[in-house]
Amino acid sequence: MPTTPGDLLSDRAVDMVHAVLSARDVPVGTTPHELIWRKNKASLYRYVRQTPPAHVTPVFLVLPLINRAYILDLRPGSSFVEHLLWQGFDVFLLDWGIPGDEDRTLDLSQLLTRYLPRAVSKASQAAGGVPLTILGYCIGGSLAACYTALYPDSPVKVRNLVLFTTPIDFADAGKFGTMTAKGVFPVEQLTSVLPLVPGQMPDMGARLLSPLPTTMGTYMRLWGRLGDADFDLPGWQAMFRWVNEGVPFPSAAYRQWITEFYQDNKLARGRLHIDGRPVRLADIRCPLLNVAAAEDEIAPRSTTSAIMCLTSSVDAQEIILKGGHVGVVVGRAARTALWPQVTDWLAARS
Amino acid sequence: MSQPPQKPDNRAPRASSDPFELWRQIYETNEKAWNAVLERTVNNPAFAESSGKILETFLAAQKTVRDNMKSYLEGINLPTREDIARLGELIVALEEKVDQLDDRLARIEHAVTEGSKSSAKPPSGTPRRNAGG
Repeated sequence: MPTTPGDLLSDRAVDMVHAVLSARDVPVGTTPHELIWRKNKASLYRYVRQTPPAHVTPVFLVLPLINRAYILDLRPGSSFVEHLLWQGFDVFLLDWGIPGDEDRTLDLSQLLTRYLPRAVSKASQAAGGVPLTILGYCIGGSLAACYTALYPDSPVKVRNLVLFTTPIDFADAGKFGTMTAKGVFPVEQLTSVLPLVPGQMPDMGARLLSPLPTTMGTYMRLWGRLGDADFDLPGWQAMFRWVNEGVPFPSAAYRQWITEFYQDNKLARGRLHIDGRPVRLADIRCPLLNVAAAEDEIAPRSTTSAIMCLTSSVDAQEIILKGGHVGVVVGRAARTALWPQVTDWLAARS
Repeated sequence: MSQPPQKPDNRAPRASSDPFELWRQIYETNEKAWNAVLERTVNNPAFAESSGKILETFLAAQKTVRDNMKSYLEGINLPTREDIARLGELIVALEEKVDQLDDRLARIEHAVTEGSKSSAKPPSGTPRRNAGG
């Protein structure tokens, strides 16, 4: 038992170093799942259900390229996947995996024409040939919207489209827009020199949006909370692990993301072509649920709100929650503020 | 009524005994203001431009290192990182070809199944022939 301030300081310091260093070993993504399909580094998983699904339409999750996929299945009790399973949905998750140097030429067009259609088809087959709900998060949402717009007549129908903090209109992309502006950000040089854009780079960009709370503030708050008997240390470690386990971006995909989406805003302007085919968001006609964060600095409201008037969906709903880009989707408040709303919306359309 | 025995908590916060606590409180009180100053510095076009220049310089240096390493490895007859990546690319391309064949087979299989279904079914509107003729 610490008796002097010095003892307390050193005990707490040891606890803190241990908390940070052991974060990389904390179990994440533990909901049982099976591999359905694999292509290159991408894997399609189906989560194991103990009972038959209560809803006919499975949920197909599309994750961002720059993050580990376990964010939607962080840990028991803090898992959106687990919530979907409890609510009776059949759940599939497309994990893009970790690219290597050999994937330097892999661009978003290939992901949209060679990966997503096959993964969607395999998921539908596994579920008995039924239409799917596609749910995309962040860049995964942008890809999900592009896919739904590109394949309106696909044999596998998209029954519903759900977007979580998804940037669509980059005309005013906030601070990220300033950082990646034409003539300022050397995207051509970056992607020609490096086969993969290191995961730390987008992460550093995100930290610069709010420099102190995302760097020093993280450790200051941890120091204070380590003294709190109710502090959920494994939960903190799981999130810390996720934030610090960035995934590299294949150079070609990164170049396309920055130039065609951020700099030229082709998606919202209807000028994006994938494999020679135009991506028209107006071709999206299925029910749409757009979830946005009011204080999102990564995908500000100006980028996430546009989808509501760019599609032809008659049944379109938007949920705007107080919070940031990650917090509204997987934070503690999401369990009561967001997840039940999403599953109620889906249940009514599945 | 006697109170239940309290669980001893040697980690309970004791502001007065934690010398770091004062610093933490100062930080928490000022975080917003300090962060606002940093944000203003970092999130303006001038900072973006200068960080772009720094990145360009880093990339030029990185390119020199990569080129030199490539020349060196070629000189001693060892595969470069690019050579290995190219090998990986060939495997990925081969996988794509297999996938394309798989897609075509699935389409053919689907067409055959649909064809046999429609040939087994009498066309609608055609009277069924009596088995007895």
